[in-house]
Amino acid sequence: MTSTTSILATRRGTVRKARPRSGDSFGRSLLRATWLIVVVLVAWWFLSANSTNFFIPSLEQILTTLGRDLANGVIVAGAIYSLTNLFVGLLIAAALGIILGLLLGELGWLRRIVDPIIHFFRSVPQAALVPMIIGVFGMGQGPKMGTIAFACMWPILLNTIDGVLGVEPTIRKFSKVYRIPRSLHFRKVVLPAALPQIVAGIRVALPIGITVMVVSEMFASIEGLGFYILNSSATFKVPETWAGALLVGVIGYVISLLFVLAERRLLRWYHASGSQ
Amino acid sequence: MKETTTAPGWLLVQRVAAIAILLGLWSLLIASGTMPSMLPGVIQIFSGIGEALTSSIFWAALSRTLLTALAGWAIASIIGVLFGLIIGSIKFLDRSTSILIDFGRSFPVLALMPVVIMLLGSNARMEIVVVSLSCLWPVLVQTIYGARRQEAAVADTVAVFKIPALLRFRRVLLPSALPFVATGVRISASIALLVAVGVEVISQAPGIGRQITLMQQAQRWDLAFAYLIFTGLVGWCLAVALQQVENRLLIWKRQEND
Repeated sequence: MTSTTSILATRRGTVRKARPRSGDSFGRSLLRATWLIVVVLVAWWFLSANSTNFFIPSLEQILTTLGRDLANGVIVAGAIYSLTNLFVGLLIAAALGIILGLLLGELGWLRRIVDPIIHFFRSVPQAALVPMIIGVFGMGQGPKMGTIAFACMWPILLNTIDGVLGVEPTIRKFSKVYRIPRSLHFRKVVLPAALPQIVAGIRVALPIGITVMVVSEMFASIEGLGFYILNSSATFKVPETWAGALLVGVIGYVISLLFVLAERRLLRWYHASGSQ
Repeated sequence: MKETTTAPGWLLVQRVAAIAILLGLWSLLIASGTMPSMLPGVIQIFSGIGEALTSSIFWAALSRTLLTALAGWAIASIIGVLFGLIIGSIKFLDRSTSILIDFGRSFPVLALMPVVIMLLGSNARMEIVVVSLSCLWPVLVQTIYGARRQEAAVADTVAVFKIPALLRFRRVLLPSALPFVATGVRISASIALLVAVGVEVISQAPGIGRQITLMQQAQRWDLAFAYLIFTGLVGWCLAVALQQVENRLLIWKRQEND
């Protein structure tokens, strides 16, 4: 069970890595990777152009609306609010998840005792937490960050534990034989060895965080992207609703792309050693 | 790090003690008065769980949620495995779809809810659509990865013996991708339940998530927490059970790896 998220995450990592880089030109591979997107967008554009269904606006209309609201700052203000919540929540989750994960990974007896508790918390439906936490602690920004942090913490924690368990026994013995001080052992031996797993855990947590962010704003908020989407749909501004949902998707994609780039930099040594 | 083999009985006692400590901390937190008064205490939650277990509304809501989750999960699994095998075994498709799949995977489907509700209304059908849209990606991604890994010897054999496409699909591609497919299907089962509850929290679709928000609006915090905790327990049991099934089904694979 413990390895659920990590298996998926690491395999995803390998999927990306394993993509064959054959000798053909950059332009051709770019074309091959993007033609389908273009086809989908063009098809959407023309199929929806003469749409008479009130609930399915044309793509042109959606994009014009999106451009208008991006320009007049309605969306930007909402996005800043949402993304602040997301990043603070993720930061808290990562800090707690990594520290607790390192501890539990090292202390085998404690890990075995609390294992069912961790898995239980992980199974609690994150979206259902939103009405509870917001209902009890109020509508402010703090409870939203708290909910995001709570939901994102478990995959990071579980992956960190996995990472610590995966540290080479020989390295561990070395550290013991040379009597490396406890804090140095944590910082310089265990943490770097577990880092690939930790990063994979954060990548699993990222979409969870974005989902909880949107849900928390749809449920109770007067700000943010989730509120923009829900408010538009409640007032029958159909193109705005589509535009908002589309934008959240694009933001989610861009964040995960940026994360992959950051990961490549951070784990350059790891990927380099893997390809040898 | 040597694995100390604790007696299973002693471990159980320790685990129960840990849960008791957790509940004790919760009670202390409530008793200290620093928490908002809505937060129910341990006894209230337990009596709430008792009340829930005997109420027919609760069981009806839970089975509705489970059924919708199951339907969405099944649809997603079938579509995901089919498309995954096709995409994964054809290089051209694999490269062409990678950006689209990356995009779909990082798309928070719950953000699309208002749009889906506009199109389909707030009902079970809408819920199934949203659930299967969320469950599709883990299955698809894992299956593609499984289908990609073809051993050269096997591929050559298939080519030499001119194995028909359909037979190849059934007897070569599917078994070799199976361990990866299983992981994807298992992960998406947990996602199905989480998303189904999430959909019910946001929309008016009936089910356990709807009950949680209703109880919370009615100021029955004990029941709301009881439902939440019980749903967590169900999800946990589901995950454990599926892991067992996967281990048993793929026992040949594990042995091969050892």
